[in-house]
Amino acid sequence: MNAALERGFRAVGAPLVAVGSHAFGIYSVFAQVVMALLKGAVRWREVVRQSYLIGNRSLFFITVTLGFLGLISVYQVASQIQRILPDFTMMGPAFIQLMWREFAPTITGLMIATRVGSGIAAEIGSMVVTEQVDALRMCNADPVRYLIVPRTIASTVMVMMLTIYAVFIATIAGMVLADVVFNVSPSTFVSLSMVSGQDVVLGLVKALSFGFWIPIVAGQAGLSASGGSAGVGWATTRAVVASSFAVILLDFIISGIGYTVFDL
Amino acid sequence: MSGAAIRCEGLGKRFDDTWVLRDVDLDVYRGEVLGLIGPGGHGKSVLLKCLAGLLSPDAGRVLVDGEDLARLGPLGLARVREQYGYVFQNYALFDFMSVRDNVAFPLRQQAHLPPAEIDARVAARLADVGLAHALDLLPRELSGGMKKRVGLARATVGDPAILLYDDPSAGLDPVTSSKIFQLIARMHRPAAATVVVSHDIDRMRSVCSRYVMLEHGHVVFDGPEAALADAPESVRAFFFGAAHKHLEGR
Amino acid sequence: MRNVLVGPVSVVGRASMGLMATLGGATMLLGRILRALLPPRFDRDEAWRQLYAVGVKSSAIVMVTALFVGAIMVIQTAFYVQRTGATSLLGFGVGFTVFAEIGPILIGLMFSGRVGANNTAELGTMVVTEQVDALRALAIDPIGYLVVPRFIAMIVMMLMLMALGDVFAIIGAALTADTLVGVDPSVLIGDILDSHLLDEYLLGLGKAFCFGVSISVLSCWYGLGVRGGATGVGRAVNNSVVANAAAIFFIDFVMGWIFPVGL
Repeated sequence: MNAALERGFRAVGAPLVAVGSHAFGIYSVFAQVVMALLKGAVRWREVVRQSYLIGNRSLFFITVTLGFLGLISVYQVASQIQRILPDFTMMGPAFIQLMWREFAPTITGLMIATRVGSGIAAEIGSMVVTEQVDALRMCNADPVRYLIVPRTIASTVMVMMLTIYAVFIATIAGMVLADVVFNVSPSTFVSLSMVSGQDVVLGLVKALSFGFWIPIVAGQAGLSASGGSAGVGWATTRAVVASSFAVILLDFIISGIGYTVFDL
Repeated sequence: MSGAAIRCEGLGKRFDDTWVLRDVDLDVYRGEVLGLIGPGGHGKSVLLKCLAGLLSPDAGRVLVDGEDLARLGPLGLARVREQYGYVFQNYALFDFMSVRDNVAFPLRQQAHLPPAEIDARVAARLADVGLAHALDLLPRELSGGMKKRVGLARATVGDPAILLYDDPSAGLDPVTSSKIFQLIARMHRPAAATVVVSHDIDRMRSVCSRYVMLEHGHVVFDGPEAALADAPESVRAFFFGAAHKHLEGR
Repeated sequence: MRNVLVGPVSVVGRASMGLMATLGGATMLLGRILRALLPPRFDRDEAWRQLYAVGVKSSAIVMVTALFVGAIMVIQTAFYVQRTGATSLLGFGVGFTVFAEIGPILIGLMFSGRVGANNTAELGTMVVTEQVDALRALAIDPIGYLVVPRFIAMIVMMLMLMALGDVFAIIGAALTADTLVGVDPSVLIGDILDSHLLDEYLLGLGKAFCFGVSISVLSCWYGLGVRGGATGVGRAVNNSVVANAAAIFFIDFVMGWIFPVGL
């Protein structure tokens, strides 16, 4: 009876303890990043290199995923509209607005969490298991400041830029589909009439916070890797899940605050 | 005992529920080369990382020149680490940097030396280890022995007062191993304290002046080779057995 | 000058070569998996273990993700409801996006991150540590022993988790509608049930099935193709999740195109 009870507590408690310790680890990396940023100790050349790796190398990926998303969203919405009210004038503007507010930042964030988050964890994780991170520390190069801070700055800037690019790509894809399949002229489709400054700000705030948190969450997963190739694989997996989840959680928080407090 | 460069008092370290180091008392003096021996998986590398402050002990403390590593804080730790050189088991070369940048890295991080001076010291140290021709190669283009030598050059380029070697001949052929140990002997300065973790007792005997043996996280022997006569049978068996086996192996 | 001209061409060329190699390799692997299924030649115990492992690994994260997806969709739809006053739009918007479109994508991405990445890491480590070679040396077919059980487990679990995730998404949506938007949960759920739920639900499950196939095949393919130690495993996991994300969006597009659902 006692043994069963203990097993039960363990089954519930162990994951909670694990989640708690990960959350604490992420918080501590976050605090170190903020400290480093406040002190201004940033390797700008590395920031530029990371921006290239994060931004340029993700362009193709974002083009493919957001392109398909734009195509299918417009196709589905337009087939609905065709059946009830064959008036397509509002479709394009509403589509572009919704892209800005929600889908461009969130899907871009998720894609960067997947591609860059796993990349950061794989890179830092293999540096940990090959003792390169210990070597950094012996040379008085703080791993968080040396490895994670440049990636954080680069990804914050790049996710914002990629979000703008994502709106652009999804709009182009949707516009082409609307023109070819539903005969909606591009000039009707592409209109910013519904997009307010608030929508743009909301989207960019989301992009900014996704970009900031992804390297922190993924870098922490990489730094806590241990034990050979299995450890690196496990850290990479955790980075993907944790940083994707961070994007969804932040999206919920920002959307919720935006809706209730600022009426966005 | 003021001459001890590093002193461990009642050092304990555990991973989850297993103690890998228990109640380790150890002094490392300036001018000596200390050989840290023992069967694999009995805490030698962990002890070395505790000596460098890379792992923080769960019991006891590590004093470097009388200062407790755990109480130093980031700035103090940085100051103390400038005296350290650490040669890692798996080379730990930064794989995104050339050999030159790897060796220059500690100098660039620590001392505010003029770039020309750094270049000169890097070139000189790489020439010392016989790699003057490899300055612009990347770590993945090097053989195991060359990586070891680059690691050694990186650890010693700042003329550290404390030098730690984690299994410097692991995975190397006998000839290369001998060369590495010759380099260890050459890099040792009279004012420096050196600790070598290795299984290669035969080659350690040409370098080390004192030995410490760890078994199940305990110190089971501490003294020069001459004191082995009084040591427990298991220690003698390990010491001479390992040395003997190695001779046979050649 | 030559670099400026040749550079982009060679980049595109190399990318398409890589894409073709992945597609070809994964298709070959899928063929070998199907051949091992007809007649069934795989390790049934291992299949049970994998079903359990995949379910345990992914259920928590899928449920939590689904809760938030429901919540976010309510917030986004409420924005439009508030401006147009069409309250019934809330149920329609939430039902459609959660069941048929965004729900499957996000749950699929999470599943790919948790199970697919983990699978690549596991198989990759087995390759690096020569365990796969050891299996071959024991005359055990790695496809039948390692890949097919994972294939089955991921498809079954992806379907079950999608069905479960939809429930949690509705719970998340109802909670948010109640607390943030001020719409009674029973009204919201009634609206969702009125808006062609079954079509959308089935489309979501159909997508889940295809995601299960693509995630299992791609993650196994990348895992078995690992070269070069810890770095290689990390890179393979990275490639695997990227390929899976692209596949998810592609499948989502194709399925949505073939099976348009709605009013």
